[in-house]
Amino acid sequence: MEFTVNKSDLVRELSLSQGVVERKTTIPILSNVLLEAAGDRLTITATDLELGIRCSTPAKVKHQGSGTLTAKKLMDYVRLLPETDLHIKFSENHWATIVCGRSRTRIAGMSRESYPELPVMPGALTRIPAGLLASLIGKTIFSISNEESRFTLNGALLQLRDDMITMVSTDGHRLALAEASNSLGGAINYKALLPRKAMAELLKMTQEVPDKSAGIEFAGDDNHLFFRVGDRLLISRKLTGNFPDYERVLPRSHAYYVEFEKEELKASIERVAQFADERSRAIKTRFEGGEATLHSSLSDSGESEESLPVEYDGPGVEIGFNAQYLLDFLRALPENKVQFHFKDSQSAGELRPGGDGGSTYRYVVMPMRI
Amino acid sequence: MRTIFHVDMDAFFVSVEELFQPGLKGKAVVVGGQKDQRGVVSAASYEARKFGVHSAMPLRTASALCPHAIFLDGHPDRYRDYSHKVHHVLTQFSPLVEMASVDEAYMDLTGGERLHGPAMRAAHALHETMKRTTGLNCSIGIATSRMVAKVASDQAKPNGVLWVQAGSEARFLAPLEVRKIPGVGKVTEKRLREIGIRKVGDLAGLDEDFLARRFGQWGLALAGKARGTDAGAWFAGQVGDHQDQKSISHEHTFDVDTSDPALLESTLARLAEKVARRLREQGFFGRTIHLKLRYKDFSTYTRAHTLAEPTQLDQELIAEIRQLFRNTWKRGSAIRLLGASVSGMQEAEGQLNLLDGERKAKARKALTAADKIRDRFGEKMVKLASGMQGDFGERVHENPVGLPGKAPKQ
Repeated sequence: MEFTVNKSDLVRELSLSQGVVERKTTIPILSNVLLEAAGDRLTITATDLELGIRCSTPAKVKHQGSGTLTAKKLMDYVRLLPETDLHIKFSENHWATIVCGRSRTRIAGMSRESYPELPVMPGALTRIPAGLLASLIGKTIFSISNEESRFTLNGALLQLRDDMITMVSTDGHRLALAEASNSLGGAINYKALLPRKAMAELLKMTQEVPDKSAGIEFAGDDNHLFFRVGDRLLISRKLTGNFPDYERVLPRSHAYYVEFEKEELKASIERVAQFADERSRAIKTRFEGGEATLHSSLSDSGESEESLPVEYDGPGVEIGFNAQYLLDFLRALPENKVQFHFKDSQSAGELRPGGDGGSTYRYVVMPMRI
Repeated sequence: MRTIFHVDMDAFFVSVEELFQPGLKGKAVVVGGQKDQRGVVSAASYEARKFGVHSAMPLRTASALCPHAIFLDGHPDRYRDYSHKVHHVLTQFSPLVEMASVDEAYMDLTGGERLHGPAMRAAHALHETMKRTTGLNCSIGIATSRMVAKVASDQAKPNGVLWVQAGSEARFLAPLEVRKIPGVGKVTEKRLREIGIRKVGDLAGLDEDFLARRFGQWGLALAGKARGTDAGAWFAGQVGDHQDQKSISHEHTFDVDTSDPALLESTLARLAEKVARRLREQGFFGRTIHLKLRYKDFSTYTRAHTLAEPTQLDQELIAEIRQLFRNTWKRGSAIRLLGASVSGMQEAEGQLNLLDGERKAKARKALTAADKIRDRFGEKMVKLASGMQGDFGERVHENPVGLPGKAPKQ
């Protein structure tokens, strides 16, 4: 295989593969990217067997063929080259020679024989606008569980139904649900569990799409989910197992609610949380007589309290929360106002966008007993 | 200058047995199990000690040394009850009482002269009150530090009082074997002997720098101890300082090593159930679950897992520890001992769960009901089915009252 490719084109496509290749893999070939030159394009593939990405860029192909090179080494080196064309030639022993201006480098590669085959994308089910998908991911990715043993919670539920796209994630302590209407074109009723790593890579991919209304083609087979934008294809293995029945735990109603300016509430929580226990991050919120009070204390370092005026004339209610959980939502919320719904110190609280015509975004947080 | 009492019950387990079975008095009695059983001696009467039997000795060795001794399994419930009684007597003399184990305690009587008179008189009053209230003998050491008080009570045994007056600590300690110093075990004793040190006096004569070079930090603590000051480990704290409870654990040594998965998992369930019961009893939630596993050849493994939320529920502990066990155990290998413990204790439940909240609330209600039955009718009345096969009698173990989380049941 021998081809010439523009340096910045190569860097751009290679950077997408960096998040996918396994750093500490027990299978050495998975640290490599597969390079395939044919026609007038160079195709780059990376996979960790759970997640795969395939993208291509224009290239002048002298001899078509394929080979694999260490993803990280290739990226680290190519990035340092000047902005010009570079010439890559693979030899029989799988080594590649890269020539660029006066630079000449040889990198050890491995035969493509042992590189895993990625599944082929079936016909697209629908198209989802890139901006919409990015927004749904951004609103839910933070409440995915980090506990590996709870594998059905290690991703978000993606649900397409009746021209609605819903994404739900929960770690057992809180639950984020984001929903948007979109013409799906036809009667689609589909749901699958999308792993966190795939969501993070999708987010990167959508950010690189210049036109946010551009559609991402979406498809699924028995085991995989496929997302394609232009010349880039992301393939993720589905998480197996059943996502919890989230509709059962969504509170139907709350006794009380107050509305805050998002930035004010966020800033107050950030300050008060400085004196919350580092592990539990517990702060107390109190609603009483037109005031919401945030309080934290650490027996040996200090305590902090802030109050915010609110429209509230219900009974005094004090609820403990993990400050980090509240901040996660406030940082993801696009709207400027936020509603805080609650009942008592034992029941789930809920944050929602405030003001009029907010998007459907619900965030249910369980309290802490402090 | 502090006035510290160390109160040590004489042959505690044996003495408690004698209260219930006066016929045992004056006989060689060994508590801990039957003579042909595995396990170790928990306590021996003074008559049995004459034959060289001492606690922590394998039961079979004890029976070889003293074949005519009466071997008893013991009654942990009784010892706990009496430990509470002892604790109660002590609190009448000072609010600063720290039970160091089930049968010994430190008391701070500094400034108690106005109330109790001179230290010696207070000690005699305590001695008599103890005998009158509990029927048990104790030995009392009085000194300016916990360490010396402990050594003094040992020298006073049995049934005596010894007061080491301020300023005479070094003179009191000097003729004693280094082994008498708390914390000096076989290893340190051997290492000291290598450099010709046998008596505490020899040790006190050594240069501190030399000790620090040879034994590190421990060397400095040793130097302090040889002079009679509290130094090192928990001797550094004040009596009655509330330390946070670090962990709750239960262990079981099988009578016969076993590789039967059903028996092993059932035993583990029973151990976890006991740990959970104590968590609830003391009002704690534990966050980290530890498994201890000892094979036939004594190789020992410990594994731990930290939960997303602290718990005090049997089912959760059992599920976690079973997983640890399955990941650790080399299937088919015979196991000698299993242990379950929790650490990372907190007094509040902390983060509530959104998905399992209802299930947890139900489990909690069921366990609260079971605990009530146990409180009234005894621990054995309600058990999890999964732990039935692995059930075992409770072995005598040291379980001090008075420490946070180990207070007497109200």
